[in-house]
Amino acid sequence: MTTAEPTTAGPTTAGDGQAAPPARPRTNVAVGPHPSEPEPKRYSLAERLYLPLVGGMMVTMKHFLGNLLGRRKSYTIEYPEERREYSHRYRGHHILTTRPDGSVRCVACFLCAQACPAECIHIEAGEHPDENIEKYPLVYEIDMLRCVFCGYCVDACPEEAIIMSNNYDMAYFTREQSIVGKNELVKPYTFDEEQLGYRPSYPEEEVRRARMRRDAFDLVSAARAQSEGTRVPNAEESQREERAQAG
Amino acid sequence: MPALAEPSRPELAELERALGADGGLPEGAVVPEGDPSTGADQPTWRVDRGSLVAVCRALRDSPETRFDLLLDACGVDYPDRDDRFEAVYHLYSIPRGERLRLKVPLSEDDPTLPSLIPVWKAADWFEREMFDMFGFRVEGHPNLSRILCHEGFEGHALRKDYDPARRWILTEDKMYTPKFVDLPPAGDDDMFERMTVNIGPSHPAMHGTFRVMAVLDGEEIIASDVEIGYLHRCFEKMCETHTWQQVIPYTDRLNYCSSFINNVGYCRVVERMLGVEPPPKAVWASTILSEFSRIMDHCVCNGTTLVDVGALTNFWYLFQIREEIYGLLEACFGARLTVSGTRIGGLLADLPPDFMERSRKILEMIPPLVEDVEKLIDKNRIWMDRSVGISAISGEDAVDWGWTGPCLRASGVGYDVRRAHPYDLYDTLDFEVPVLYGGDVYDRYKIRMLEIRQSVSIIRQLLDRGMPDGPWIVDDPHVALPPKDAAYNEMEAMIYHFKLIMDGIQVPAGERYGMVEGANGELGYYVISDGSGKPYRIKVRPPCFPIFSTFRELIRGGSISDAVATLGGLNVIAGELER
Amino acid sequence: MIGESWMTTKFEKLEDWAQRHSFWPFPFGTACCAIEFMSTVSSHYDMSRFGSEVVRFSPRQSDILIVAGTINDKMAPVLKRIYDQMADPKWVISMGACACSGGFYRAYHVMQGIDEIIPVDVYVPGCPPSPEGLIYGILQLKEKVARDRAREHGEGRPPVEEEVQSASSGGTLPA
Repeated sequence: MTTAEPTTAGPTTAGDGQAAPPARPRTNVAVGPHPSEPEPKRYSLAERLYLPLVGGMMVTMKHFLGNLLGRRKSYTIEYPEERREYSHRYRGHHILTTRPDGSVRCVACFLCAQACPAECIHIEAGEHPDENIEKYPLVYEIDMLRCVFCGYCVDACPEEAIIMSNNYDMAYFTREQSIVGKNELVKPYTFDEEQLGYRPSYPEEEVRRARMRRDAFDLVSAARAQSEGTRVPNAEESQREERAQAG
Repeated sequence: MPALAEPSRPELAELERALGADGGLPEGAVVPEGDPSTGADQPTWRVDRGSLVAVCRALRDSPETRFDLLLDACGVDYPDRDDRFEAVYHLYSIPRGERLRLKVPLSEDDPTLPSLIPVWKAADWFEREMFDMFGFRVEGHPNLSRILCHEGFEGHALRKDYDPARRWILTEDKMYTPKFVDLPPAGDDDMFERMTVNIGPSHPAMHGTFRVMAVLDGEEIIASDVEIGYLHRCFEKMCETHTWQQVIPYTDRLNYCSSFINNVGYCRVVERMLGVEPPPKAVWASTILSEFSRIMDHCVCNGTTLVDVGALTNFWYLFQIREEIYGLLEACFGARLTVSGTRIGGLLADLPPDFMERSRKILEMIPPLVEDVEKLIDKNRIWMDRSVGISAISGEDAVDWGWTGPCLRASGVGYDVRRAHPYDLYDTLDFEVPVLYGGDVYDRYKIRMLEIRQSVSIIRQLLDRGMPDGPWIVDDPHVALPPKDAAYNEMEAMIYHFKLIMDGIQVPAGERYGMVEGANGELGYYVISDGSGKPYRIKVRPPCFPIFSTFRELIRGGSISDAVATLGGLNVIAGELER
Repeated sequence: MIGESWMTTKFEKLEDWAQRHSFWPFPFGTACCAIEFMSTVSSHYDMSRFGSEVVRFSPRQSDILIVAGTINDKMAPVLKRIYDQMADPKWVISMGACACSGGFYRAYHVMQGIDEIIPVDVYVPGCPPSPEGLIYGILQLKEKVARDRAREHGEGRPPVEEEVQSASSGGTLPA
């Protein structure tokens, strides 16, 4: 059995990314003859006696005894007792985020339903009494069995109303159970960092996001505070509060 | 450096001279329609169907052109034109590195065209697919039957007037009947009855979805037929009904063993059509993750081939490599297998801060596991008896059948898109393209192991250069969604965001064929846009489609166990084969 | 035959315990979910810890039919035939969006869920579901089998579908 030398010219490259592309042959047809019949294989004596198999068995034994005697850490993750640490970008079960007063942030703009390639999001909009908010979803259902967990809904949402968790434990017994509604999607652990997955921002930017989120979305509390005559915290107080939260 | 290779430009004059040398072509049979100088991506000729075979033969044989590889043949439906259909052929010349596109207009009343099987054997299944999807009647084809849709299907699915959701039920009386090509006639000296054995589609060695009907004379397969289409998921029709961005999750599911490469291939073509360049960070990360995906795919291929011949232990070792790479892909994009990691213009998200450490740790882990497998298998007489000399194919035959990728390089033809038409960062990297000459199952296994090593070297070089700074996606609001804080706070960004989601990216009208080196070979996307937010037509050139069409010839003369070993080594991924 | 005696009820309990702790799966794998199934049986997740050491590719020798991957109209008769060939008791796990409902392939050749032709016991969503998700589905099936068996033998436990309103709120997350 012949192993040919790779036929490509080996050009020199500099180590840095600014190297000019070296001249290369434009095509790579192998030169030289190839056997029209495969070369007859002549086994060495050792191979005829199947001795190299002993070498192979040594490899297997090394792994086997290593695992058995505990000398090497076994690769197996003992689910369900152990759970694998997925990143905080994992695209798992969806979460509808809520405002401080408990209502969903979703304003029923239908962007997620439009962006979804599987058309698994079903929304029915209703009018919200507060004219700053205008709409809210009367019905928000995701058909979990259609969803391909691509995260396009999260990308599309202008309100950060839908994000994903790192929960992958989902199993249903009937098709009806798999259509999860608003109540299922709103979870108390929304702000538990450990449970969150794919979302528009990551801990690297969390401080900036927290400030932005408060500025953009707490219109309700600010408007309510103003109408009730209580004082809205000023910038200095907000910063102090924020530092306390971050610290 | 360009983000996608510029297809080469043959001198039009030399091609016309070559054709003129043959002589005898009627006036107006060949009309050059496009050229890179006029903005097309590769030279395009309009050919009259009566002259098609003569033109193709001249293109293949004449020394000035030498178009020896038929990459793709597909149909396109233009209901507004007088000649409603168009058959499009993509040709490639491996010695010269030149490309050519031929278009054959066909009218709705008479969509017949001659078969190109006498010129390139690769045309076989492509023509059956044209018949299945569009209804072109290919004259001279030995077995013009449906290949992807089932036999009970009525209508032609990719025509523009076909309702995408219209399904047909397959009943038992309409199942596919095999047609054995070159079946030797039964002689009087046959002591044994011939037996036709059906293998699959639900069979462990058939990787789920292939059906092989083999006629056996004793132990030897004397003829066979292959039925595919058990995973035909209507990718091309789904592309026409979804926006450009929504196609990306569909591309993941093509070659699902290395899904990131499919994403990259698609996004690069669309980016060239839009005229945007992804930023350096995205290109750097795409190259690294493509190479990781290539390693993953070769692990699956070799692992499952070895399982099929009974060597189970290697499967565990090779899958451990996959699990580690899954960890990296999951940390970057949030999903293990079907990542949808690119967006048009760049990546899905910024790279995680520990990207470099994770990658390096995986690179440390890969060589020991690969060496373990090689110690078990390379000199193992049992494996060598099962694979050396089995289903050997020569380089010329492989090119005639349309092969590309590691299977072709195992037969002595060193064509690799990364080297011949570099894209991303491949032209700045120092790597070798391994070539072996046996063309048998052993060489196809061995070449994947060599390629894994080369990919490790590529990734190491890129990591040593360091991560480029900057954005991960292009800063064009007509292409990429604006950053979230802008979308939340600024009205203009919000409007761009809204339009991109609702209408889709508006890709200028035109067509383009772009290719990347998939783990199986040249993965090409022939993309036609009509200027709207949804693709007009996307044809995927699956690398394993022509490779698997050779299967019935490869297993002739062998036994069923040889057929099993051969199938594994070809790395046929059903998602890509049948889209 | 003999009538319910202490011996036979204990034997039935033993039989049920053995049954649900030794599911032999038949992976009817077609597409990407089959690759995740391969990951599940690989050393990283190792489904053999749940008694599924033997992954039989024969319907005669298996208990659960795990349909992993898209089933299209061409494959439907094959799937039905395989299901019919399996011996009772048998259960079906539909793994992944395509097998459960057709996924995002609302197309001319894709079956919109295998429950068009065979009854499904557990639906595991995901595209593809991670191996942990699949193992969770198998554990849910195990629970279901235990309760069904118990009900067959006269213990008045409600079927698990009624008790578990939606399994998505299950797992180890706080309620």
